[in-house]
Amino acid sequence: MNNDAGKRIKRFTVSQRLFHLVLMVTFLVQAATGLARMYNETAWGQGLASLFGGFQAALTVHIYVGIFMVCAFVLHILYALATILRKGPGSTLAGPDSVLPRPTDFKQFFQHVGWILGLAKHPPLDRWGYWEKFDYWAVFWGMIVLGATGLLLAYPLASSRYMPGWGLNVAFWVHRIEALLAMGHVFVIHFFIAHLRRSTFPMDRTMFEGSANLHDVQHERPAWYQRLKASGKIDDMVVQEAPLYRRAIYMTVGFAAICAGVYLLVGGLIHATRITW
Amino acid sequence: MLKRTVPLLLILLAILLPEPLLGQEERASRYYHYRSTEMSTGIYEEFEVKPRSVQNRVESTIGQGRTISRVESEDNRALSRLFLNDAHQGLAFYEQRRCVDCHTQEARNNRHFVRHGITCRQCHGGEPIASSGHFFSRLNPIRQHTHVCAKCHEGAGVSFALYAVHEPTPANTATLASMPVLYYAFWIMIALAAGTFAIFLPHTLLWGIRELFLKKNEVPK
Repeated sequence: MNNDAGKRIKRFTVSQRLFHLVLMVTFLVQAATGLARMYNETAWGQGLASLFGGFQAALTVHIYVGIFMVCAFVLHILYALATILRKGPGSTLAGPDSVLPRPTDFKQFFQHVGWILGLAKHPPLDRWGYWEKFDYWAVFWGMIVLGATGLLLAYPLASSRYMPGWGLNVAFWVHRIEALLAMGHVFVIHFFIAHLRRSTFPMDRTMFEGSANLHDVQHERPAWYQRLKASGKIDDMVVQEAPLYRRAIYMTVGFAAICAGVYLLVGGLIHATRITW
Repeated sequence: MLKRTVPLLLILLAILLPEPLLGQEERASRYYHYRSTEMSTGIYEEFEVKPRSVQNRVESTIGQGRTISRVESEDNRALSRLFLNDAHQGLAFYEQRRCVDCHTQEARNNRHFVRHGITCRQCHGGEPIASSGHFFSRLNPIRQHTHVCAKCHEGAGVSFALYAVHEPTPANTATLASMPVLYYAFWIMIALAAGTFAIFLPHTLLWGIRELFLKKNEVPK
């Protein structure tokens, strides 16, 4: 046993964790209400819709939660801009602490694939892995595409004043495919990375607890760890594990989200051939 | 006497007679036995009745203007039934059939029917069902938005009515001709989704397998 056991390193602020929580809950509601409408021809879809008060009510929930999501997204952009102004563009837009993609990320991607295949050493990841940056920016893309097409579809009379009505057919399909992509990515890839890898099994609590396992960071993100150590910041960053009741809450919330997501994924796949596409 | 009565009568006529611009003008076909000529030769006229004033009116995009033409066989209007005042004229055993017995595709390719249970007749009307291209049809683009769409979508305009209720399958090559934007948007989005999964599914799965072979000291306690 080394004496690092139970020690963790600060990784996310309270506001960042809240943004993730809000996104998680609203995303699941949108997935459930959206699939309830899409699968209305099946008993599964009708059951799903009844959770929200039926076929029509599911749409109302979908629209208002969607508008709420767009607002939260705008708030996040304001938050990011405020952070850039507060900390200065040097440390937030450039350098290893930034979530902006850098050439190193592409290099690390290929090196990581090499490591997966047993051809290379593990890349010395810094604070953000390329898959984390991808997930972060994927939300921007998804929000813009789903938010824009969703608003067009939510107010068809108004939107058809500015575009021909068949634009709604296009918006519908773009909305549908992008939503399926987002759900597939979150319910399969994102969940797998955070829960099913040996180093994170059964759940990576980092996003809920705000701190990452120090031992894990030393092995997976040595560049970040060495950088913090060299600058002497590491002592301020190391924290103790959260008390048991809190960990229990994080695990409960996390597994509830997993169950909801996997339920939607499996149900959607099983019934995929029973609906009119 | 006459000097007074004539202008008075004229004014009275102007007041009492209907607004001439709103009226319609009937035009006789130059073909005798119009329908038989049409069926045998493929020569037809667009409309027998046209609004007197064509300005400020939305016209059918299909074949504008008063023309006489010989059409290609595949879109021979006379034979395609798309321009008859009774689209099902002369069909055998018509009364015994349901719409979807023949129009199977039309029942499947629209969410009005599939999701909302809106029946054919709620939009297409009762018997005799006019072809949607016929001038008197409620589904003629001239009045579709007010006579059909606005029954539920209050305030529907001409543009709103351009929504394709019978949506072509976006993946089909045939859609490229009818709705190219839909076709391209569909395939771009599919390529994006397929590309993302093609990279990240094997990547993540193999990553999971690779982590099974981590050394003991690399695994968090």
